[in-house]
Amino acid sequence: MNPDSTNTDPKHDSAQHERARLLIVLSGAEALSHAELTDTEQSWLSAHLEFCSSCREFQEDSREKIRSLRAIPILASGHLVSATQMRVRRRAQELQRDQEHFWVICTCVAAVTLSSAVSAAAVWHGFEWIGQQTRLSAPAWESGFVVFYLMPAVVAGILLLARGTFLADDTGRFQD
Amino acid sequence: MVSMNAIACYFVSSMPDENTEIARGLQRRDPDLLDRLIEKYQHRLLRYLVYLTGRRDLAEDLFQETWIRVLERGRQYDGRHEFSTWLFTIARNQFIDHTRRKRPVSLDTLNNGENDGDTSTPFEITDTVQPTPFDATVQREQNQQISGGMQNIAIEYRETLVLRFQEGMSLGEIADVTGAPLGTVKSRIYRGLSALEPWVKGVRL
Repeated sequence: MNPDSTNTDPKHDSAQHERARLLIVLSGAEALSHAELTDTEQSWLSAHLEFCSSCREFQEDSREKIRSLRAIPILASGHLVSATQMRVRRRAQELQRDQEHFWVICTCVAAVTLSSAVSAAAVWHGFEWIGQQTRLSAPAWESGFVVFYLMPAVVAGILLLARGTFLADDTGRFQD
Repeated sequence: MVSMNAIACYFVSSMPDENTEIARGLQRRDPDLLDRLIEKYQHRLLRYLVYLTGRRDLAEDLFQETWIRVLERGRQYDGRHEFSTWLFTIARNQFIDHTRRKRPVSLDTLNNGENDGDTSTPFEITDTVQPTPFDATVQREQNQQISGGMQNIAIEYRETLVLRFQEGMSLGEIADVTGAPLGTVKSRIYRGLSALEPWVKGVRL
């Protein structure tokens, strides 16, 4: 494999060979532009490789493997790229629409909250008057008032929670 | 020498700017930016997914899903890290989600030949331009040998080797993408290359 490698068996224990081989692999066996070794590690490795033929052979093997790995061409087709771009654009439009819907909903919620706050006193008196006319107890017409005020929010909450469930399709829209 | 250093400094300092620009574009969900990113990373991302999944058709599905996720989650990218690292992390998570939908296992426990019970040829090797037909044939055979080896080593080794030696990522970036500690990444590279030994020897023969 390595023409100038000799049988000069280095007087290093297996831990040193192991370290050298790990450094060789981490450095990308010089196949990569940026190595991951510190200067100290680099110089230690160079010194070790000077007289260790088996590690030099290992370095050559690693270089071969990395070269082979980098030579494998796997290319994306033009069709895949254009199909992906189209899907992404379509999804971007959907998200844009959802964003606009979100702001409409926020505006509606703000308007309803404001009008509710303004009209609460009048509606309260209205329920009180109905309770007196129909001779209902105070807790009964007060409960009616609470239900009247909370029901729209409860219904809206249920509908929003139902998005993404069996009631809606993949995009969150409600099924017909 | 000075001008070379200046050029090097320009490229080094332009990297964060590029990432910041990408982050801004993703905040706006800029479709033109996404078109450019898809073109720029098309081969790298597909190659990673092909090796990760072991199947070209699944890799192509996940390729599309990854870019949809980039669009949807683009606002989470802050531009402080390499865009490619973030992109590969999303792709990896897409694969894990896909695997979980199929059956509940983690990526680390996945081994080769177990992927969906699929036995078809995993890596479709495309023809490359070679000077002579003989060279082309030799090159193609070598590629198939190595691809066969990649198919047969454990998925976590395969993934790490691809990120390191094909994508040229640093060990830190690989740790970010895979969520594995640095020591584990080093060990996977070492063991992964060792596991490829029989196939590389086959190439040389």
